[in-house]
Amino acid sequence: MLGFAYLLALLVSLTGMVVLDRRFCLFFWRAPRAAAVVLAAGVVFFLAWDLVGIFAGIFYRGETAFMTGLQVAPELPVEEIFFLTFLCYLFMNALQGARVLLERRRAA
Amino acid sequence: MSYLGLNAVFLGLAALVAAVALWRRPAARRLYAASALALVAVLVLTAVFDNIMIGVGLVAYDPTLISGVFVGIAPVEDFAYPVAAALLLPALWSLLAEHPPGRTRSTTRRTTRTRTGRMTEATHPTGPTGLGHTVRQVLLSSRPLSWINTAFPFAAAYIVTTGRVDALLVVGTLFFLIPYNLLMYGINDVFDYESDLRNPRKGGVEGAMLEQGLHRTVLISGVATALPVLLLMLVLAGANPWSWLVLAVSLFAVVAYSAPGLRFKERPVLDSVTSSIHFVSPAVYGLAVAGALVTPDLVALLAAFFFWGIASHAFGAVQDVEPDRQGGISSIATAFGAAQTVRLAIGFWLLAGLLMLVTDWPGPLAALLVIPYILAAWPYRSISDAESERANNGWKRFLRLNFFTGFLVTMLLILWVVLR
Repeated sequence: MLGFAYLLALLVSLTGMVVLDRRFCLFFWRAPRAAAVVLAAGVVFFLAWDLVGIFAGIFYRGETAFMTGLQVAPELPVEEIFFLTFLCYLFMNALQGARVLLERRRAA
Repeated sequence: MSYLGLNAVFLGLAALVAAVALWRRPAARRLYAASALALVAVLVLTAVFDNIMIGVGLVAYDPTLISGVFVGIAPVEDFAYPVAAALLLPALWSLLAEHPPGRTRSTTRRTTRTRTGRMTEATHPTGPTGLGHTVRQVLLSSRPLSWINTAFPFAAAYIVTTGRVDALLVVGTLFFLIPYNLLMYGINDVFDYESDLRNPRKGGVEGAMLEQGLHRTVLISGVATALPVLLLMLVLAGANPWSWLVLAVSLFAVVAYSAPGLRFKERPVLDSVTSSIHFVSPAVYGLAVAGALVTPDLVALLAAFFFWGIASHAFGAVQDVEPDRQGGISSIATAFGAAQTVRLAIGFWLLAGLLMLVTDWPGPLAALLVIPYILAAWPYRSISDAESERANNGWKRFLRLNFFTGFLVTMLLILWVVLR
């Protein structure tokens, strides 16, 4: 149960991103195809960054009971993919949210 | 290679893509203004959550390969990730999607506090009937936007007390997430319908929140979803008489607010008190069922939450003084008058802030959170009953403030747990 804590937290957070996206038409609900490409490209970019960092021995998987222990590559827990997806989704939602705010300010 | 060197490579790549985007799509400059703003928010989140993630041991670093500059316990190099996101992602987006479709949505939307005494929005979709439509209407009647307002107080109180994730937490959160709201707003919509009908100024049938054919369905769904979850929750909680008492009070408040005969929402003062109980009681239940120790601190905190709820409900009632009076409906605001009610709300918010000052660190920081509320209500402190509708602008500000405050309260709670 505890091993899924981090994954669960990430999934809950991702769900939050999807709900916000849907409610305010931010990312996938604005341009689904472009959003899919941006998200995939972002995750691949950050995964590459992670892998090079792991290969160089800069950072590694921590000792914790909060992760499932499943790894997609040495020292790269499966949770990291969800984390990077969340990071990119969060940023794109925040970006469109900020844009709407700025446009509203300009219009006012 | 050091962490800084690694970051330089990937930041360079991201900057390159950004440069290409700005060259191909000059209009992307505007997007980067928004990106800077988004980056500030994400950097703040990174500062908080990266510390937590490192603190609980999700990731570790080779101390010889990092610069040794830390934000808390997070290496400063970690902040390169959001910076790269701010460079790379808007670039990709502008290259791929910057022919904005400008899609608008077909549902009409209105902010309603009117008659429900609630801090929510409701949608009035027009269109098809059938099972999908029914399910959608029933769910909408539970105000999905405010599910979190009752689930969060429970979950936060329970987790902070027990420090663990278990079945009771999941079941309890589920209960306060959906069935509780289905009961609360469902009953409200069904019985408001009748008083709306009696009151043509309110728009008669057109103004009703819920079509009449769905009244039975909504009430049945409320009870049918609440009962099994409630039973499971009681079994998991075991023999804990205090928690039973709290739950009984909570459910009574849910029913009494709008059920005929009781209609606490139309009894001045009792309306604001009951509304506040709707949000505070899930937290009290979470504490009771987790066996929290009753300390003066905790009592001050709950009292502050309670007063915040009273103030918020009272302020929300101000905008409806005129229509309520015309419809022969009482509320705290029709009883005291608009200006007096605004002042009362300001007073209760102030009291909530003062109570937070006596709690343990970092509780006193939360005292600051009442200031934006007081500022939002302040322009209306001398408003006349005739122009009380103007307070709706303050109410809209209040609704937006709640999201921000909820975020800050969560950060404070996390900080509180981390400090223990």
